[in-house]
Amino acid sequence: MRDNDLPKAGLSRRDLFSTAAAATGALVVGFWMPQRAAGQMTSPEGATSISATWATEPDVKEINAWVVVAPDDTVTIRIAQTELGQGVWTSNAMMVAEELQCDWSKVRPQYASANRDGREMAPEWTLQVMGQGATDPLGGGEPEFGHRSRTGVEGIPNSLYRRMRTNAAASVKDGRYYLQLAGAEARERLLLAAAKSWGVAVEELSAANSVITHRPTARTITYGQVASLAAQTPHPDPERIRIKPPSEWKLMGTEQKNLDVPLKVTGKTIYGIDVRLPGMKWAAVKTCPVYGGAVKSYDFERIRSEPGVISAVEIPIPDPSLIRDRVFSGGIAVIAESWYQAKTALDKMPIEWNVPPAHAARNTANMRAVLIAALDQPGRVHVNLGDCDRAIAGSARIVEATYSTPYLPRARMEPGNATVLVTDNRVDIWIGDQSPQETRQSASRITGIPEQNVYLHMCHLGGGFGRNGNGPQAEQSIYIANQNRGTPIHLLWTREEDFIGTTYRSMGVARLRAALDADGWPIAMEVRTAMDEKAPGAIAAFDKASRYYVPNYRFSTHSATFHIPVGTRRGVGEPAHDFYRESFMDELAHAAGKDPYLYRRELILRTDLPYKADMIKALDTASEMSGWGKPLRPGMARAIALEERGAEGGGHATISAQVHTVSISRDGELRLLRVDVAHEEGFGLVNPLSVKKQIEGQITWFYNDTMLQECNVSEGRISENNFDRFPLSRIRENPPEINITFFKTGHWLRGMGHDRGTSVQSGIADAIFRITGKRYRDLPFRNCDLTWS
Amino acid sequence: MAIELTVNDVRHSVEVAPETPLLWVIRDQLGLTGTKFSCGIAQCGACTLHIDGRPVRSCSVPVSAAAGKAVTTIEGLSADGTHPVQRAWIELDVPQCGYCQSGMIMSVVALLEKHPHPTDAEIDAEVTNACRCSTYHRIRKAIRLAAAQMQRRAL
Repeated sequence: MRDNDLPKAGLSRRDLFSTAAAATGALVVGFWMPQRAAGQMTSPEGATSISATWATEPDVKEINAWVVVAPDDTVTIRIAQTELGQGVWTSNAMMVAEELQCDWSKVRPQYASANRDGREMAPEWTLQVMGQGATDPLGGGEPEFGHRSRTGVEGIPNSLYRRMRTNAAASVKDGRYYLQLAGAEARERLLLAAAKSWGVAVEELSAANSVITHRPTARTITYGQVASLAAQTPHPDPERIRIKPPSEWKLMGTEQKNLDVPLKVTGKTIYGIDVRLPGMKWAAVKTCPVYGGAVKSYDFERIRSEPGVISAVEIPIPDPSLIRDRVFSGGIAVIAESWYQAKTALDKMPIEWNVPPAHAARNTANMRAVLIAALDQPGRVHVNLGDCDRAIAGSARIVEATYSTPYLPRARMEPGNATVLVTDNRVDIWIGDQSPQETRQSASRITGIPEQNVYLHMCHLGGGFGRNGNGPQAEQSIYIANQNRGTPIHLLWTREEDFIGTTYRSMGVARLRAALDADGWPIAMEVRTAMDEKAPGAIAAFDKASRYYVPNYRFSTHSATFHIPVGTRRGVGEPAHDFYRESFMDELAHAAGKDPYLYRRELILRTDLPYKADMIKALDTASEMSGWGKPLRPGMARAIALEERGAEGGGHATISAQVHTVSISRDGELRLLRVDVAHEEGFGLVNPLSVKKQIEGQITWFYNDTMLQECNVSEGRISENNFDRFPLSRIRENPPEINITFFKTGHWLRGMGHDRGTSVQSGIADAIFRITGKRYRDLPFRNCDLTWS
Repeated sequence: MAIELTVNDVRHSVEVAPETPLLWVIRDQLGLTGTKFSCGIAQCGACTLHIDGRPVRSCSVPVSAAAGKAVTTIEGLSADGTHPVQRAWIELDVPQCGYCQSGMIMSVVALLEKHPHPTDAEIDAEVTNACRCSTYHRIRKAIRLAAAQMQRRAL
């Protein structure tokens, strides 16, 4: 546990603790309040919470790397994923606490140390879990432990905390085996310690609610009383510890309020932007708005005497090998005593850019034309079942549609930031980061300081929506701090800079073509999609097998190379592809003169997909909940769609269906009035409350994608770069009614946080068609004429 | 120049350029980091606080406009997080990432002072803050809960 080794910049450990207190609001103009130094505060419900989230050295010896039990029975649970609103701070803790059988009200989450993860290997017993040759007794799909990249880029590493990435909605899916095991191992050792101290057989003991009972004598002892002994009592045979199946869960599967909410309603949560260090200076940054560009010249002399200004640092284009080969831009940072001074001076500084001419020649229209043209090129064929060309050529009824989706950023509320202190032999980084193992490596590569001397102090993130750790904010800050060794540098992007420092979901187009038989059922379907060749998720929703039965099926991907950095925005490839697929199913149903619910139902029924019963259950449940088929007044319509990830396979999958009830006034004002959601829970949800919140949030997220949001390219740069031109929906647009029904299924889920609610897109598109008679296929619809008479 | 500010009932004299947005004085000079920066152009409302009880977007209000007035931030809403709006937020587990919630709560407190029993239209008109996680569904319910609790307290 070395996270609080003293940095070599005159900062004492006490300063760092005081800083935590300062960020809670206890700081009054440079006056430290030592009584708040441990960062402790009392929550409204009486529970003690820790407002500084990052790893600290415990006062007592840990039981294992995940669990520390203090003499007062407080349980610290180390969390290796980042809390960004998805509830992982609570759900990961629940998985450990379920097995630990501790008093839930005594649990305090704290981030795991990424530094320690860089030094220590995972305990052998965590490697012996399902996915390492062992079989899931429930047969429900196994985590993807295949690769073991040290930085966590691929697969799940075998370093101490295994997977520290927060992505792919996979914290529960991948973590549950070893997190449950970590809780179980600690519980067993507490029991062994109690047995040892009483001189009784461990089999005579039971544990519940942080109390160990010797059943024959009814003697009790608390976890806190035996924790110190447990920490020194190794388990003789940890490989034999088994974890609880869902049928034995007591805490998991119950609705638990998120543990950090009391801090979030009092302003006490420490996000990266809130970190304050003694002697810290601020950096404001401008990078070339055309990606791949860099600074040609700048005139620091013009701003040197502006208030608070200290220096300027030219930032090269961040090494693409540190950020998954994405090419961002070079730029310039101004360092000043306060951020507002730095930003104000930077705005006044003359800067000229070297812009790659080919990039500057790009705009939305010519990029879209390139993608549309790519659809007619051969492409890469992923599935080719039967003979699509012949079936389509021989058919009298062809339906064809071309759809498109725009470039989209994550636009999380907290702009990119990081605070970095580089000294001669150590790097300290305070950051909300979804890929700390990668950032650890970046810090080492940029500074030349070994990875084991890199310390990440993890903060909560003000939104994530697709691994924003892979924007270059960490790399920029490390670079600047490395030029200013000994001085903590807090880099903060403006909102406009945040739109440059993010990766985008690629613009995409799709052409779907189907031949229908005399009864309106598809006999052939051809799907061509195109986006940037570096974009992840190109095969989503269409690969391996059509989700709707068709005897001749071909799916090919096509691509072009553009200069906008693309990445894993919420849902990755799924949302755009779900829009194409489900919109097309609506178009086919209308062409066939059939009910879109029953049309889908019949076509799923005809497949041999492994989870078709679950897909049908989702459709049936959602339609029933919504009153499907009951008359609506003019100007209203319902639309239904299937949402799935992994339904074509036999492992993890997440399946749901939604019905959207929409109204449009005659003058074209659209309201999403009601959403009925039927969602599977697999063997069990860890925290159903968080799942509901994720579903509610994603409905609105995809409403934004449908109605409001797009980023266009003009002269090579992104045009919409703040919330005036890139609107966020407000409470007045939110659906007044959201109904969620969970139903049990027989497999493990693939995740909840990123691709639920994608059907809002096709749902609104189809409702517009039903009400106005107009079919729109290019998202978003904000400029579409929705009037009707 | 020195500007006199009263923030959460504490008087401060801060040396700052008068055109500096109030947000940065609150966050960086007074160390009250609960009030957030997000857009910088008075769009999103993450920086909402009260000047003399009225909600303002502090990223776009010069500190000079608050001179001699009473500023209230999320830290000053209650000593212990027990304002009815905060309690309702906890009860319904409203926040996700939480970044917008300080500003959101300050807007809702102002709404309920103006309209103790707000209609949906009044909520829609007064609460114009943006939440990227989209916690609006729970926010509306929590506003109703807080309004009911405040009424009970007033009786």
